[in-house]
Amino acid sequence: MLGQPAVQAAQPDLANEYFEQLQERYEQAAALRGGAGTLDLEMAGLRLRLRYVGESLREALLAPFDHLACEAGDPALTISLFDTASTGVEPPPPLWEPIAAAPGTNPVARLRSERACVLAAAGSRALTAALPAEGVAVFHLPDAAAIPASERAAPIREALQLLMAARGRLMTHAGAVGRGGCGVLLVGRGGSGKSTLALSCALAGMEIVADDYSLLESETLLAHAIQSTAKLTEDSVERLGIPTGAIDAAGFEPTLEGPAKALVDIRGLAFAGLSRQLEIRAVVAPTVSLGEAEPVVRAISAAQGLRAVAPSTIVQSGFGGESSLATLADLVRRVPSYELELSPNPTANAAAVDRLIGDLG
Amino acid sequence: MSEPRFRLSPEIVHETVDGEVVAIDLLSGSYYSLAGSGPAVWEVLAGGASEPEITAVLASRFEADAETIAAAVSTLLSQLRESNLIVIDEQPGEVSIAGGSGEKTPFEAPRLERYTDMKDYFLLDPIHEVDTAGWPRPAA
Repeated sequence: MLGQPAVQAAQPDLANEYFEQLQERYEQAAALRGGAGTLDLEMAGLRLRLRYVGESLREALLAPFDHLACEAGDPALTISLFDTASTGVEPPPPLWEPIAAAPGTNPVARLRSERACVLAAAGSRALTAALPAEGVAVFHLPDAAAIPASERAAPIREALQLLMAARGRLMTHAGAVGRGGCGVLLVGRGGSGKSTLALSCALAGMEIVADDYSLLESETLLAHAIQSTAKLTEDSVERLGIPTGAIDAAGFEPTLEGPAKALVDIRGLAFAGLSRQLEIRAVVAPTVSLGEAEPVVRAISAAQGLRAVAPSTIVQSGFGGESSLATLADLVRRVPSYELELSPNPTANAAAVDRLIGDLG
Repeated sequence: MSEPRFRLSPEIVHETVDGEVVAIDLLSGSYYSLAGSGPAVWEVLAGGASEPEITAVLASRFEADAETIAAAVSTLLSQLRESNLIVIDEQPGEVSIAGGSGEKTPFEAPRLERYTDMKDYFLLDPIHEVDTAGWPRPAA
């Protein structure tokens, strides 16, 4: 073509270069501290190794994964974590202009190539660089002693999202509860009542995988657990009678989506059965009722089910839109969708979910 | 002057489930439901098509007079353009548009609904793409 050079110079892969530099900084930090700790997990049927520099990072960020701990072995995925405050090692200089983060917001600068993806959150100042197909990521925070609320609520979410997506596991904005290994996905945007319903079910003796985010394996329709913490508003904590000992010491903190929420350790709740996975038999979209005494379950169309689960999963993740939507469309084609109009009575709501699961066989 | 041809916007993702199109605009966070005869229009748009071509396809598939179908297609295309769900195809390739070959079905006007409840999240937690020169480019 006229005006075009015969051979174009190859564009440098800045995202990949940044990943390699951040990986080097992690290795430096580990060497300075005399080595790294490791926590091996079995998450979504895959062995995931978390390598961390410094116990404070381990305690503050990785404790919610302890329920998935397994014996050490050859990992399919590896995430390496370090902070600057405890190691003195800075991340490589940013390749992007600083983005202003207004209070309560968390804008993200994203640099990506075919091979690599770098995400720099301006609000939480969390930095994630990953090679998804190769199953490796590096995560950095300025100070492990001051973990931002958004990171504590969903630790290393971006790294997990990227690595798991490359292995056919979609991080879905959905809770999952069930009985006997089978269950339902609880879907809907923040504030729709997912967390309260999931915890109501756990307190009623049902199995719980997640209250807000789970990993959906597209082929098997298994919903896998990520973390052992849930986020609840003060009102929900009171209505469910959550014991003080199960509430995170940081207490109620403002959230991006609205009312303040506290982290609750599901393992600290009596009768709760924290499960690794559930086979999904239905999609349930809770809605907050205007005072109905009894919860009401109604069948809804597959498209309505898709509208309840897909936008918040895809819009909030910001990547993999096409394949994520295809996975979720496949889900609602394979299992029925329901709307659950919640009553003010958590026990009755949990019983309605339990009955539905029983009816689904 | 030839009729403009339209195609689906590259900024959306979409799936058709149970006769309803669910489309998500990745730039704004809005999402849409398209029902009635809308999914038939959408199917034609996916390959790129002009308004008369879409009208002709619908006329071959649905039982309704030509004016009713033409008016419905025109209204829907305006709505889809206003919502940035479709764009004018500046470089249309070769297209083959197949009409209906089976029995016609009763015509139902297309219904487009827009949902904006994700917008707040989108504004709170936006993603800025960094281009090769290292400058963030706002996603919305």
